[in-house]
Amino acid sequence: MKPEDRAWQSLQKRASAHLRGNFADHVLKAARGPDARTWAQLEAAGAARLRPGFAERVLRAARKIPGLPSLFNQFAFSAATVAVCVLAVAGIHAVQVRLESDRNLAGWQQLVDDVQDFEQYL
Amino acid sequence: MDTSASTQLAALVRRAQKGDEDAQRELIVSYQHRVAGFVYAMTGRGDYVEDLAQQVFIKMIRAIDRLQAPAQFESWLFRLARNTCIDQLRRQKLGRIFLPFGAEHENIPEPPGAVDSEELDALRHALDQLRPQDRALLALVQEGRSHAEIADILSTSVAAVKARLHRAREHLREHYQSP
Repeated sequence: MKPEDRAWQSLQKRASAHLRGNFADHVLKAARGPDARTWAQLEAAGAARLRPGFAERVLRAARKIPGLPSLFNQFAFSAATVAVCVLAVAGIHAVQVRLESDRNLAGWQQLVDDVQDFEQYL
Repeated sequence: MDTSASTQLAALVRRAQKGDEDAQRELIVSYQHRVAGFVYAMTGRGDYVEDLAQQVFIKMIRAIDRLQAPAQFESWLFRLARNTCIDQLRRQKLGRIFLPFGAEHENIPEPPGAVDSEELDALRHALDQLRPQDRALLALVQEGRSHAEIADILSTSVAAVKARLHRAREHLREHYQSP
């Protein structure tokens, strides 16, 4: 055997010494991916986390939680909220306008009184 | 599922839609293992299984009267399961942003091999490396959902499902290291 062939052989031996014993199985499993049995194990492991009486607990919990409002109820509630807000804004605006008018009228009245006093003085 | 089984399921769903508690219980008992397995595949956390499975079935009870086609019950249930798990994972992600130290407590890995085989540990590890959407895709396929059903669940096209599934399988294989 030529020296370079011997060197190649020893390189191969050294490289293959790094591979684990079940290398072929390992590669094949990794290439195929998990099989149906492993997926079934996963499902079984998940199912094993459920405590006995799961269905009863779900039904009890579902009964306890108040029902979600229907779409109509949600719409009605929104409409009522909008109506209350509009009425509140309109009411506050009306009161403010009235107060402002009273203030302006009082100002004009004062002006009229001052003009009349001035005319009498003249 | 054969024709008589799907007819029976549709009848059971109709009874549950009318508020029959026995029918609702029967649906929960029939599907609790599969939903629990799906939740476990999605979250990789055993301590979430009971809580999330309960959320899924509560949503089922509350919304079943709005299910138009009782024959589509399984797809609809697994859509609820997928959305519930994705919401939980999003909340967890948000929680990690706002409570960075909470993550240390949240992500305590389950002791490997405590009850699981090495293959199962490898599968859990591989799933953990995937995006939740890809995990959902693979878990839905394992649940026996067709490409058309998955497309309906994910609101996308069958071609998109096939492409995404191909990529997800590739990624799973890359990370699947069976000892």
